Amino acid sequence: MVDLVSLKDVSLNSKVLLLNGLGYQSDGIFVLDKEGKKVSDRYLEIPVKVENMVIFPGSEVILDDNELSISRYIEEFGDVF
Amino acid sequence: MSSDDSIDNSFESLAKGATKGALEWTSEKISDLVKRFRERNLAFIKEQKTIDIVREQYSSGEGKFYQRYIKDKDVLFIIRMGLTLRKIEDDGPRMSNLREKIFYKYKTRGLHIAEFVQNRLLNRYVGMLIDELESLDNLGKDIENVLKEIDKHVLFVQRIEKSQDIILKTLTIINSHSPSKFALSATKSAVEVIKECEDKLVSALTDYDLEVIREKETYNLFFKKKKTID
Repeated sequence: MVDLVSLKDVSLNSKVLLLNGLGYQSDGIFVLDKEGKKVSDRYLEIPVKVENMVIFPGSEVILDDNELSISRYIEEFGDVF
Repeated sequence: MSSDDSIDNSFESLAKGATKGALEWTSEKISDLVKRFRERNLAFIKEQKTIDIVREQYSSGEGKFYQRYIKDKDVLFIIRMGLTLRKIEDDGPRMSNLREKIFYKYKTRGLHIAEFVQNRLLNRYVGMLIDELESLDNLGKDIENVLKEIDKHVLFVQRIEKSQDIILKTLTIINSHSPSKFALSATKSAVEVIKECEDKLVSALTDYDLEVIREKETYNLFFKKKKTID
């Protein structure tokens, strides 16, 4: 089990600084990788927006916050929550 | 100007317009969070509710029932998404968002399977299958076969459709495939449309018995082929 930190009420600035700490960046809307390319949800292959991102352990999995992607994550990595 | 500058400037302008009162983290706090994340002690979520909703579908009786009998992983996953849709159907925006995602990933057939589950039609269908089964060995395969050809077994009625078109579609499917069971499903404003079809379909489908299933804002007509006496 891991501790859960909610990003819901965290400022955009802090979320982007968190992404920077993890080696990512942002254009203020989307999560970008080191090369500035949009990071896609692993399971839906849609660009992940900072306001709707979740970040899970397991090779730094950045997903869109929706039930489908999170279910897929649990099936791949187990219920770490 | 480099592409990096462009990104930074764009971000600054957006950040300035961000909602006041949002939680600001110090650099020390962020460093600590990053460290704990790298040690795999932490996950960043948006809402606890999303996690809870997802987990419930794996622990529910229905979820476990289908896990036992459905071997096709994609079909089982879509069934879980259908259960999730049912769980969140009182939360319109959340349900719309998940429906979009299911459609994006699994197209029309996947969404129809999920709706079939959401509207409790699969449960009723399984109940009918169990009534007819001599052995449970084939139950999973029978369910999978129905779901993989979902559009031969159910018609989801849209509010913009005319009743005569729905009747024609229904009769075309039934005459083409002669399914042992066939359902029509409507939600909200489409319920009135399906009710307009009900009597005419009963008259036309003399080989079938009708069962009406009402569920919150959903209205389903379930036609089951009458048993022939040899």
